[in-house]
Amino acid sequence: MKTHAPAISFHNLTLGYDRHPAVHHITGEVERGDLLAIVGSNGAGKSTLLKAIVGELKPLSGRLDLHGSDKREIAYLPQVVEIDRSFPISVFDCVSMGLWHETGAFGGFDRAAEAHVFEALEAVNLVGLAGRPVGALSGGQFQRVLFARLLLQDAKIILLDEPFRAVDTKTIADLIQLIELWHGEGRTVLAVLHDIDLVRAHFPSTLLLAREPLAWGETPTVLTPVNLDRSRQFNESFDAAAPVCAQDETAEIA
Amino acid sequence: MIDALVQPFIEFAFMRRALVGSLAISLTAPPIGVLLMLRRMSLMGDAMGHAILPGAAIGYLLAGLSLFAMSLGGFAAGLAVAMAAGLVARSTVIREDASLAGFYLLSLSLGVMLVSIRGSNVDLLHVLFGSVLALDDAALLLVAAIASVSLVTLAVIYRPLVLECFDPHFLRSVSRWSSPTHLIFLVLVVLNLVAGFQALGTLMAVGIMLLPAISARFWADDAAGMIGVSMVAAFASSLIGLLFSYYVNVPTGPAVILACGAFYLASMLVGIRGGVLWRLMPAKHLEA
Amino acid sequence: MRHRFTACLGAALLVLGVSMPAHAADKLKTVASFSILGDMVKNVGGDRVDVVTLVGPNGDAHVFRPTPADAKTLAKADLLVVNGLGFEGWMERLEKSSGFDGQTAVASKGVTPLKMIDEDGYRDEAEADHDDHDHDDHAKGEDHDDRGELAAGHHHHGDIDPHAWQDLANGEIYVVNIRDGLIAADPEGKAVYEANAEKYLAALKAENKVVKATMAALPKDHRRLITSHDAFGYFAKAYGLEILAPEAASTEDEPSAQDVANIIRQIRKDKIPAVFLENITNPKLLEQISKESGAKIGGTLYSDALSGKDSTAPTYLDMFKHNVETLNAGLSS
Repeated sequence: MKTHAPAISFHNLTLGYDRHPAVHHITGEVERGDLLAIVGSNGAGKSTLLKAIVGELKPLSGRLDLHGSDKREIAYLPQVVEIDRSFPISVFDCVSMGLWHETGAFGGFDRAAEAHVFEALEAVNLVGLAGRPVGALSGGQFQRVLFARLLLQDAKIILLDEPFRAVDTKTIADLIQLIELWHGEGRTVLAVLHDIDLVRAHFPSTLLLAREPLAWGETPTVLTPVNLDRSRQFNESFDAAAPVCAQDETAEIA
Repeated sequence: MIDALVQPFIEFAFMRRALVGSLAISLTAPPIGVLLMLRRMSLMGDAMGHAILPGAAIGYLLAGLSLFAMSLGGFAAGLAVAMAAGLVARSTVIREDASLAGFYLLSLSLGVMLVSIRGSNVDLLHVLFGSVLALDDAALLLVAAIASVSLVTLAVIYRPLVLECFDPHFLRSVSRWSSPTHLIFLVLVVLNLVAGFQALGTLMAVGIMLLPAISARFWADDAAGMIGVSMVAAFASSLIGLLFSYYVNVPTGPAVILACGAFYLASMLVGIRGGVLWRLMPAKHLEA
Repeated sequence: MRHRFTACLGAALLVLGVSMPAHAADKLKTVASFSILGDMVKNVGGDRVDVVTLVGPNGDAHVFRPTPADAKTLAKADLLVVNGLGFEGWMERLEKSSGFDGQTAVASKGVTPLKMIDEDGYRDEAEADHDDHDHDDHAKGEDHDDRGELAAGHHHHGDIDPHAWQDLANGEIYVVNIRDGLIAADPEGKAVYEANAEKYLAALKAENKVVKATMAALPKDHRRLITSHDAFGYFAKAYGLEILAPEAASTEDEPSAQDVANIIRQIRKDKIPAVFLENITNPKLLEQISKESGAKIGGTLYSDALSGKDSTAPTYLDMFKHNVETLNAGLSS
């Protein structure tokens, strides 16, 4: 019997664009403190699921329950393409945005805050680049900047969307350490990943998604050859002539 | 030499007023220009110049050639267009630049139709737009007041505003200030533009807002630095333009903007951040 | 008794018979380019014409943009009256697009044109021996840019000042041309037009005498005039004044700091008593000059357009009367 409420639960949740489902009828729970990898082929709905959790997408049907967590207690790392890297902002200033929950929009930035920022930069090995504009960084370095920012956010739930895309192995190793640190601190972490070996090595739970959940549970039981095969056969295109779905329920986010 | 630079301002009150007016606008418009440029909204100033027409037309229809009525109407129209554009950009697939284009064109056509209803062909906008050489007390006060308000507001919303430009998703996830900040910024843009049009004319108002900001890109690598450079560049250009107009007998507005333009070209060549000449003659690389 | 009755009946029939054609015939549809011409045409044409004016009272012909409605009006017109001298830069396009095929009268035909103001702010006279007919032929059919100036290359003596009507003597030439244009378009009305024109010309001549006398009575050193755009060149030459203007011929021009400085210096040096606003330009610049130089604002002058019916200058003659009064009041103190 579980003693406390889960972090996130999905009730027959369907998400999508333009009435076409991207995530189709998913039901299940993410426990507090879970370290969950979300895996699947392209177009399987992984990013969509994260977007719904963070509130950027409204469900087409079904329900998503955050059990009282405020959206400010969720830290979200989107796929990097959505940030304007040519913007003239320094690494330090960018990372310091992570302290928003303390300083707010107008609050001051005292020495203690500054120290926190440097701690975060140290944790990702970027102290030497603190003054550089973010546009001058490599892909891997910028990813570390975003991780440092995430660190400062001190969030209960952490969502990472393909955090290791186009990043070198040394950086990946460093960032994995950070993730395991978060897991150790009892934070709930969900990460969309493509590297199956990485998942097997570091993530205790996995959700295999192919629009519908193929398997969800402990990683070894999910990432079987049979399941992986089914996942590879997934057809990512929307069917323009699809009929209305038979199973349906009114949508509502808790 | 110094004497030649200072003498026009000693001898003529209109030159002094022009200088003061230019100073005020050089403090308030360039920072806004920097942020507009970073949001890829550089053509907004020009669009606004057209978008305010229906407001001015309605002011004219209601109160005749009253500068106050037309300015108020113009401001309201500009604000409506800016807000509508901002709202649409935030809640539909249309992006900020396309959204603004759509609304300003709508506004302009509406304005042209309204003007033609009256039957008179007084060039409304021509009446509405002033000249830096004709700054009366009311206009000076207006520009100074708007400059103060803008600077203070910008200082207050600076952090959310920068984040809104750089990573709007993040801002939305950690704060409720995303939409209000955006809208406040739009209000500042329209306010500065309309006041600028009235006091200085379109060319100078839009030019002072944008050209120094664009040039500053070549001198600083953070937004605050760019703001500083753009303010100085704007004021220096105003001074040079005024003196040029005085000694060489050319219209003042274009002279000021050409001075801004000269600085822009110079910055492109020798600006320490990305100037073309530096890239052609790279310095020896460092040890690490 | 019987004879008298017959005579009266005969006279009545005669009167009816004479006036019938005037009523039965349609009025001559005339389009005048701007309000001053419109007024003149009404005076010469009387009841025989139906005049539509394109650039109405207080309108600015320098920045006028014709509408499709204007094209329709012009298409149906029998006679078009224009100023010429490059005043209506938009006319050529309008004529083409409307398909106008009626008569045209160029009011300024035969006028000796003046040049625009040059760099020193003073007026230059166009060479008197320059062919007049050159100007007439060129005035309408040339490439005009939007500001109504003749394209470079067609004339070699600089920009022409189109505001010829500001000299009443030229006004008389205008009336003659308009009369001839009306006669050409409507030969049946020849007698009427000639009679109306004669009356009107007499009125203009009389006013001209008054204006000359009034202006001559001004003290010699008070004959300088500052106004916002340089539309009074002909007035200045005809009646002995000197014009200083911060803007050149078109209301679209922007002043330079040097121009403004020069004017203020001039006012201070020569103690010029007044500056005059115009009914179609932004008054702010002149107000500034007035404040700084101490010259008072003398009032509003009408340059390129008449005022509305309820104001002080609804006709050409009224405009002159008003302008002269205003100038006199402003300059004589």
